[in-house]
Amino acid sequence: MARQANLNNDEWADLTAYLDGELDGNRARSVEARLNRDPAVRAEAEALQKTWQMLDYLPQPEPSTAFTSKTLERVSVMRPAVALPRPPGFKHSWIYGAGWAAALLLAGSVGFTGVSLLSPRPPPAQSLTQSDAAALEQSLVQDLRVIENKRLYEQVENIEFLKELAQQDLFGDDG
Amino acid sequence: MGAIGETSAQLAIRDPDTRLMLGVRDDEAGAFEQLVANYQSRLVGVMHHLVGNAAEAEDLAQEVFLRVYRARKKYRARCKFSTWLFTIANNLALNVLRTRKRRPAVSLSLRDSGPLGARPAEQLVTAPSGSQPIRRMQRQELTTVIREALDKLNERQRLAVVLNKFEDMNYAEVAEVMGLTVKAVKSLLCRARMNLRDALKDYVFMDGQPIPEPPEGE
Repeated sequence: MARQANLNNDEWADLTAYLDGELDGNRARSVEARLNRDPAVRAEAEALQKTWQMLDYLPQPEPSTAFTSKTLERVSVMRPAVALPRPPGFKHSWIYGAGWAAALLLAGSVGFTGVSLLSPRPPPAQSLTQSDAAALEQSLVQDLRVIENKRLYEQVENIEFLKELAQQDLFGDDG
Repeated sequence: MGAIGETSAQLAIRDPDTRLMLGVRDDEAGAFEQLVANYQSRLVGVMHHLVGNAAEAEDLAQEVFLRVYRARKKYRARCKFSTWLFTIANNLALNVLRTRKRRPAVSLSLRDSGPLGARPAEQLVTAPSGSQPIRRMQRQELTTVIREALDKLNERQRLAVVLNKFEDMNYAEVAEVMGLTVKAVKSLLCRARMNLRDALKDYVFMDGQPIPEPPEGE
């Protein structure tokens, strides 16, 4: 490196800092004094300044038109993972599940209410007198055989047909 | 927006981009988009000066923005937003430049190869002046020479020059971004400027001719 001016490392550093406007106080005044009395230092300062200005020739590149959209696209891929750590569709499946549960509950309630309203209920026990209770019991005992064979009676259309079945020896081995 | 400390609040008031970044941290709609819009040109420009390749510069700038986004929840407004951003850019660029240094790749950029590549300095100095095409060519070649001079600086010198020259950062800001003392930056920039002066000494005065005007809008 050809150094025509006789400067040590600190003085060179002060000279460039002075050119950058980074020196103040006594050190700045010291550099100014040196520049005033030493043409070699002045020439070096001028060369440094012109070299620095040459950097303005470098083009200032602008980002491509797609830069913003590409960057935001890459960030949008990261967004769900950061802000919403649940799998996609989680929110909707939860709503559907809750809907199904509500529908089943409603259907169950309607069915239970309907059955309750339509089924005949025995009168409440406390409303029966003692004689009524005895009569009901008598009636149940009297109809016990009918109750026991209720399923069979449901298979026949009328009582006449049943009587005929009882009288005729249809299968030969009845006895 | 979450509660922020006194220092953060003061910085947020003084620096609108710090305020914007606090919005990004708190997932405010549109804050990150605005930040990208505010800084994309500067970041791509700095990266281009550092790596010398437009496509790579864009990739690196994009990576810086992604790192900003990933780190948003840890963001504390301890310094100006731009300082924080360029610190991330600095770390990334230095890694890339060091990796490239370890594994030198063949450059395919136009300026390094083919018939339009750099010409000997003598042609530039002895070229006749006066006609516009010649001056345009001079300007193009001058740009190439300056680019090469910048590339010859070591990574730290180059980064300090780019931040100081193109980002208008003072020594203290460069020091903060690069994790150095102000004195170290002063020394770094001094050596960088002297290296540039030595590399460009044949072109500074162009054999007594005035230096062509810097290109506009490039």
